[in-house]
Amino acid sequence: MKLSIDRERCEGYGLCAESAPELMHLDDEGELVLDHDEVPPSAGPAAESAVRVCPVAALKVG
Amino acid sequence: MGPARPTERIVVVGASLAGVTLADAVRRQGFTGSLTLVGAEPRAAYNRPALSKGVLDGTATDADITLPPLTCDVDEIVGTAAAGLDVDRREVVLEDGRRIPYDRLAVTTGARARRLADLGAADPGVHETVFRDLDDARHLAAALRGRPKVVIVGAGILGMELASVCAASGAAVVVVDRQPPLLAQLGRYLSDLLADAASAHGVELVHDPAGVRLRGTGTPVVELAGGGRIEGDLVLSAVGCAPNVGWLARTGLLTDGGLRVDARCRAAPGVVAAGDVAAFPVPGGGHRRTPSWNSALEQGRAAARTLVDGDDAPALVPSPYFWTEQFGLTVRICGELPARGTPALLRGGPPSDGALLRWSDAGGGATAAAVNTRMPIARLRALTRPEPVPLEVQR
Ligand SMILES: Cc1cc2nc3c(=O)[nH]c(=O)nc-3n(C[C@H](O)[C@H](O)[C@H](O)COP(=O)(O)OP(=O)(O)OC[C@H]3O[C@@H](n4cnc5c(N)ncnc54)[C@H](O)[C@@H]3O)c2cc1C
Ligand code: SF4
Repeated sequence: MKLSIDRERCEGYGLCAESAPELMHLDDEGELVLDHDEVPPSAGPAAESAVRVCPVAALKVG
Repeated sequence: MGPARPTERIVVVGASLAGVTLADAVRRQGFTGSLTLVGAEPRAAYNRPALSKGVLDGTATDADITLPPLTCDVDEIVGTAAAGLDVDRREVVLEDGRRIPYDRLAVTTGARARRLADLGAADPGVHETVFRDLDDARHLAAALRGRPKVVIVGAGILGMELASVCAASGAAVVVVDRQPPLLAQLGRYLSDLLADAASAHGVELVHDPAGVRLRGTGTPVVELAGGGRIEGDLVLSAVGCAPNVGWLARTGLLTDGGLRVDARCRAAPGVVAAGDVAAFPVPGGGHRRTPSWNSALEQGRAAARTLVDGDDAPALVPSPYFWTEQFGLTVRICGELPARGTPALLRGGPPSDGALLRWSDAGGGATAAAVNTRMPIARLRALTRPEPVPLEVQR
């Protein structure tokens, strides 16, 4: 499973990072940084919940 | 309530942000019993804030706004509303007559658009149009193609966001309210800022302290109590929302027509509630609904912990976070609203180029707002703590 971020859309809300801190964080400029290219299977549900909480639908799993 | 036993049945009623978050969190907390999610809408849960933004202006597709489906073990009953609750037998009664037994119940039925008719301010026979769900958004998007004259009653967050998208689509827009736009919701400073932006985008703001009444049949005419009538091709009511608690009538769960919860989101023994439906305790006493995305998330997760861990679950300390997009301004706010008084300008000149504002309150805390400024929510939230303001944001 892979996470991808639509940079055009991402507004730097950071709710995703609050929901799955093990997978992503915001840098000092408020840019979202994905910490893994490939989401470990054990973190699948965390990845989905991060996608769910993004208010502008900038994050996708696939 | 004590911790859930592994074989118990949890039923969640209402399958939007709060309900889906809650169901997901219950499993993530390790609950192994049976889990059922009941939702009235005939489609997968979606991102409601996008309705008045990307869905209306055409930049968000259905795929963009659909929330990821639950992948945990859950029975989903979609397109069927709960019609009632049998508290004695512990059964949710669905509109098709089915009865779904539960040991623990989560109420996440959200809110519906309030109507002027509910407030006694519409003639019988008026066709009142509101905006709350995907169908409403599709209807309005279609109507806007004809560049109608739009009259919006209610200058709160929803009314102003709708005004913004309607104006951007080329419609002539009038917004009517008893109060200046957003004053009650956001306070004077942001009210002035957004009202100026609305005017600059050609929106006419009308203010009648005595209120309005919808007159006629079919598309109504807006009659101002202070005199005057406003006609439009489209009249939208955006006068707040009311909790979906009709199905809980005569259960003893309601107080003054609302569903109150405690700081662990408990409404009664074995019953939790979260999101737009729930009236949460307010510091200083009383209860208030906090209909916002972040509250639905926080409360959904907190209620899940309460269901699974019982009284050992931590009390929720809300961290209010809210945003709105309108008239070229994206405003994100952490802390209590409305913000009173004049804010300190921590950064920026004209707000449209980006500004960071901070209102100190008497208790030493603060409300902080970022206007057209990207900033991690954690840094904005840090500004709501008592002074001194962290050095790095003073630049
Ligand atoms: C147009 C619009 C724009 C918004 N913009 C923002 C924004 O910019 N920022 C922000 O923070 N918040 C915004 N919000 C608020 C945010 O969308 C809500 O706070 C959030 O959706 C609440 O989620 P919820 O699950 O509690 O309730 P809801 O989303 O209202 O969902 C409740 C669900 O329960 C279902 N239901 C109701 N009764 C029953 C029943 N008897 N049986 C079964 N199911 C039932 C409903 O059909 C619905 O699907 C906006 C809301 C709207 C309408
Ligand atoms: S929640 Fe969405 S907008 Fe916010 S940082 Fe994450 S992906 Fe970006």
